[in-house]
Amino acid sequence: MQEIKDMVCPFCGCLCDDVTLEIENGEIVATDNCCAIGNAKFLGKNRLKNPIKKVDGKWVDITYDEAIDTAVDILLDADRPLLFGWSGTHGEAQCVGVHMNEILGGVIDSTTSVCHGPSILAIQEVGHPGCTLGQVKNRADLIIYWGCNPIEAHPRHMSRYTTYADGYFLDNAFRNRKVIVVDVRETETSNVADEFIRIKPGGDYAVLSSLRAILRGKGDMIPDSVAGVTKTQLIQVAEMCKTCKFGALFFGVGLTMAKGKYKNVRNAIEFVDDLNRHTKFTLTPMRGHWNVYGANEVMSWMTGYPYAVDFCRGVAFYNPGETTAVDILARKECDACMIVGSDPAAHFPHSCVEQLRDIPMIVIDPFQTMTTTLADLQIPVAVTGIDAEGTAYRMDGVPLKVKKAIDSDYPSDTEILTRIYDIMLEVKGL
Amino acid sequence: MKFILNSGRTIRQGKYIENKLSQGYAEETSQCHIHPLDLLELGVEEEENILVTNAIGEVVLVAVADEGLPKGMVFVPYGIHCNSVISACTHGTGMPDYKIHEVEIVPTSEKRKTPVELLEQLGGVRYAGN
Repeated sequence: MQEIKDMVCPFCGCLCDDVTLEIENGEIVATDNCCAIGNAKFLGKNRLKNPIKKVDGKWVDITYDEAIDTAVDILLDADRPLLFGWSGTHGEAQCVGVHMNEILGGVIDSTTSVCHGPSILAIQEVGHPGCTLGQVKNRADLIIYWGCNPIEAHPRHMSRYTTYADGYFLDNAFRNRKVIVVDVRETETSNVADEFIRIKPGGDYAVLSSLRAILRGKGDMIPDSVAGVTKTQLIQVAEMCKTCKFGALFFGVGLTMAKGKYKNVRNAIEFVDDLNRHTKFTLTPMRGHWNVYGANEVMSWMTGYPYAVDFCRGVAFYNPGETTAVDILARKECDACMIVGSDPAAHFPHSCVEQLRDIPMIVIDPFQTMTTTLADLQIPVAVTGIDAEGTAYRMDGVPLKVKKAIDSDYPSDTEILTRIYDIMLEVKGL
Repeated sequence: MKFILNSGRTIRQGKYIENKLSQGYAEETSQCHIHPLDLLELGVEEEENILVTNAIGEVVLVAVADEGLPKGMVFVPYGIHCNSVISACTHGTGMPDYKIHEVEIVPTSEKRKTPVELLEQLGGVRYAGN
């Protein structure tokens, strides 16, 4: 039995880097320091053994060489291919994806568009008062979780960085660090909060505006209740925020997927801006996929835009709402699709899934997913963090090297995408 | 009865994320959490099936009592079940209204479908080779 310490968990945006893996006969047999989700990921079985291709409605096993040729044919035959996913793979593979999209003149979009895309739109309007999770852990005496439920979605966030973590500059952090949870429903997270603000669905914008009004001395304008929250509680929460030494607001898709979308996030950023006139306060989106932040970084360096980048004009064009995956699929605009490290059949609205079914689709993923059933080709790859390595960005923008624990015969995403890209260059004479 | 549908991550749904064709995932994503008083008004007992409909589509889910929800709101874990009634309209933002969709709920004797059955209904084919 071999024990490997300080491995990075490739599940959520926390990128916990203190995981211990036990290896026996070239397989991971146990984990330590993982949450239930990370543990399930490391111990996951049922990998697809070889590439598969749908022929006359039936799956047949094929070789990697055949799979790569088929993928090239599908993508080069398309007029408007969509390359989607990218949050479940490492940065090096994302780079190849962007290059590939440029020569294809297609659209490249990541799962950002259906998680924190609206947060990026808000950040582009008013900036991002962020900091690293280390600052939060060691300094923050007030935490706000707004529209997120870390106990279910980022299970170790509270123990590594906030509620249950020690802080270098804090005395008795566990007792003295206060936690405010804002949500439309009671959750496991709201149950451990010092203060729970329960908002009526769609009321986030109004509550943020009310808190900002109180901070600016205009509390008398606020009615007795705003979106189900009493004025007394709003005044109390504004006071808690104003008088803390260092506050950190974390928010989830409760803000980005509800009415108001990016305007909710903009108001949250401006609330933090107002608080910085009284104390130190920061804001961090609770990014979901382990490397969704990396997908935004890579696309930003390479194209100038963080997601939903359209190259049909020969230059990068970005217009979320038009060039985002859900909109392109709903308009039945794309005529081929490549999915890398994502499962849109499980997460997209029904009409988008119907369009995925109706066009040629390639899936690059280690496992048979729900999208597989509707695809025409799947190429299995190694799992980053298990038998492949690469760069990933944590939810606070810190890049980490995701190491591999075991060797396998599976090629990495980068290897497969590079092979496809090289043949495309050759065919196009580039 | 009319409800607001809210969808989101649960830890059990997350555990099955790399194994979505499993029974565990099917059980988790076909649950519909409802306030107990709403269940009473619907005339539905816990673990009985309900039909969720709107202009987009319909889906059969199983009722789970959840006192943490406000009356008038239901919560369904992310997955193909809840997406059956989610519109692709993004209001020009790229993001559908996953957290706030109006739906109608009635009791039903119909059976729940698994994700695989829903995909097969769409024309999907499961690879049986592994």
